[in-house]
Amino acid sequence: MSAAGIYLRRRITNVGALIFGSLATALGLLFLVWILWVTISNGISSIHLNLFTKITAYADQGGLSNAIVGSLIMDLMALLICAPIGVMAGTYLAEYANRTRLGSSIRFLNDILLSAPSIVMGLFVYVIIVLPMSNMTHGNISFSGFAGGVALALIGLPVIVRTTDEMLQLVPGTLREAALSLGVPQWKLTVQVLIRAASSGILTGILLALARLAGETAPLLFTAFGNNFMTLHPLDKMASLPIAIYQYTNDPSPAMHSIAWAGALLITLFVLALSLLTRLLFSRKKVSYE
Amino acid sequence: MNDLAAAIAAPLADVQENTKIKVRDVHFYYSGFQALKGVSMDIPEKQVTAIIGPSGCGKSTLLRIFNRIYAIYPKLEATGTIELDGENILDPGYSMNRLRSKVGMVFQKPVPFPMTIFENVAYGIRHHEKLSKPVMADRVEQALRSAALWDEVKDKLKQNALGLSGGQQQRLCIARAIALKPEVLLLDEPTSALDPIATSRIEQLVEELKSEYTIVIVTHNMQQAARVSDCTGFMYIGELIEFGNTEKIFTKPDKKQTEDYITGRFG
Amino acid sequence: MSSTGKDHIIKSYDSELSRLTGEIVRMGELSVSQLESAIDVIGRRDERAARRVVDNDEAIDHLEQEISHDVVRLLALRAPMAGDLRNVFAALRIAADIERIGDYAANVAKRSIPLSMMPPIPPTKGLDYLAELAAEEVRDVLKAYHEQDAERAYQVWKDDAELDEAYTGYFRQLLTYMMEDPRNITPCTHLLFMAKNIERIGDHATNIAESVWYQVHGEPLTKQRPNRDLTSSPESVNLGDKPAK
Repeated sequence: MSAAGIYLRRRITNVGALIFGSLATALGLLFLVWILWVTISNGISSIHLNLFTKITAYADQGGLSNAIVGSLIMDLMALLICAPIGVMAGTYLAEYANRTRLGSSIRFLNDILLSAPSIVMGLFVYVIIVLPMSNMTHGNISFSGFAGGVALALIGLPVIVRTTDEMLQLVPGTLREAALSLGVPQWKLTVQVLIRAASSGILTGILLALARLAGETAPLLFTAFGNNFMTLHPLDKMASLPIAIYQYTNDPSPAMHSIAWAGALLITLFVLALSLLTRLLFSRKKVSYE
Repeated sequence: MNDLAAAIAAPLADVQENTKIKVRDVHFYYSGFQALKGVSMDIPEKQVTAIIGPSGCGKSTLLRIFNRIYAIYPKLEATGTIELDGENILDPGYSMNRLRSKVGMVFQKPVPFPMTIFENVAYGIRHHEKLSKPVMADRVEQALRSAALWDEVKDKLKQNALGLSGGQQQRLCIARAIALKPEVLLLDEPTSALDPIATSRIEQLVEELKSEYTIVIVTHNMQQAARVSDCTGFMYIGELIEFGNTEKIFTKPDKKQTEDYITGRFG
Repeated sequence: MSSTGKDHIIKSYDSELSRLTGEIVRMGELSVSQLESAIDVIGRRDERAARRVVDNDEAIDHLEQEISHDVVRLLALRAPMAGDLRNVFAALRIAADIERIGDYAANVAKRSIPLSMMPPIPPTKGLDYLAELAAEEVRDVLKAYHEQDAERAYQVWKDDAELDEAYTGYFRQLLTYMMEDPRNITPCTHLLFMAKNIERIGDHATNIAESVWYQVHGEPLTKQRPNRDLTSSPESVNLGDKPAK
């Protein structure tokens, strides 16, 4: 084939690939924007003061205040449980068990946990926390905010383990050697140098985990259950936004539907804000080891 | 052995001729692969010794045995003896803390810690000594001055060290190493990531530092070895082919392999 | 000229080095033929030919400049090391020596012009022998250079004593002629200068020998050399009364 022929064929292939790529991107974006648009257009009308001041017990006359508070409490609880454990486990994997058989087995199991269906987490917590506590309280099934928090923590944990592990592995090996060559012991090196060097990445992982668990419904069904009244007690049944949305959408009343839309919008905005925050954190510390 | 003796005889009459590090028959294994095959050499005190050779010849490996930094990785093993002031540092009984306070190391890529400039230098000292604030400040200043960095950073000691230029970061790493007042300074291709001006600064610094420290530098850059060192060792596939006075190595090496490498006839 | 038999990784480096060697050899050949022509011209008493020899010196000077330029270029761009460094360094020194040899040959030719205007005198013949010795030395040392034969260079270096000795003898011969007849003084003085020039050529040949030795061995040639040019030693001031031995 002549040179001109080859060039022509390449140009055609190039244009073809470009068109397919652009179309695929447009399709993906289309649905994303669509979802956002439907959420905003349906939810925005119901966002008013009642949403934040009234509890779900008033049904279509009420708001979502107990669900918002419940979600915040359980998310915070989940974060308090999974962030320290996750960061420590990730540190162990990257710094102490890297390249060992145990380390790679744990990594493998963590990856399975990462993709496990969230309903399984709910059932698991139901079995290990809700049922034993029910036995203690003579048969009343003890759904609780605490159990919900634990279930959510199980969702967030593998995310944090994974990102911490990866971020620490991105820290150049010579940084370790440099610290060790000064005679600094391994634990000091890990805590004072490595985690600090990877801090923005680790924080990003924690925020991503938070974004992930904020939208979870399934693990809460058998754990926190839901509550139409405001409660701050962690051992009470506790309302949450995803569950409230789930229940309201099953209701025939259109007024309930629009409150559900507003709740969905709230979660979406919360997750969006978290994503923006992680972006901001990651781009601010651009002075890195490259 | 005669060559060795001749090599150690420094060109300047007033330079001491004590051996600081006596390397004898060092072998190094790297999960089954032998990276060093019986290296012996005498590294003179308060002089600059350069180790040159093609990639993978074992020169960095040798350097990394001098402070046993290799020990942080599993499945690495060194045999033979390396005497620092007459004591074998490969002896498991030799305290790692002691060794690392005596032997400082600077790496190929400048890797400041994610801390302020001041903290970078103070960090290592804190581990070995408890100093009051003013004494520490003094010590940090001294180290930065010795590393010819003080004038450039004295007004921004509280800033993040990662904001410095590559050359400055490398001098900071040198300051960090000499802040511990080591006796030996190991430089592992310290200028390979730097531009020519920053390289010259580091070379000038090496020249200045040799009055106080025994310096061993591994370099890919033969001209650099010729410029900064008093003694040069040429390594090839895990063996020390030739070791001697730098002037001798670069004008009339004894071994054909050395000559081939130095004159660009390798391969 | 690779000192270890292997080629450089950078091919053009090799060709530059061999070009340098070629230039030196060519320059040396030119200087030898200049010397031979100069002697020939004396015998033939040919003024025009003598002027041609003098003019030819420019070619040698030109070659020397070229070599200097090549050497600077090599030093700057190739940063030669070890054997290559000695090679380049020796080339620079040898070129300077050959240039001086060329100058001396031209000087001999120049002095042959006034000489040819005077009546011929017998000792002129003696100059041939000196010139032959000197030319032999230069040829030998160039061969030593070309073949990197330090032993041969050392031989030349030692043999220069022979030339020195011949010069001393010739010096004495000329003195005798001058004392015999003052009219001989002018031509004999010319001959004396010419002889001295030829003797100096020998000295430069030994310089070249030293450079070759250094190039091969990387150390100076420090062996003791017999020097038998005694015309400048104090006892010889006493003009030929005492045999200088």
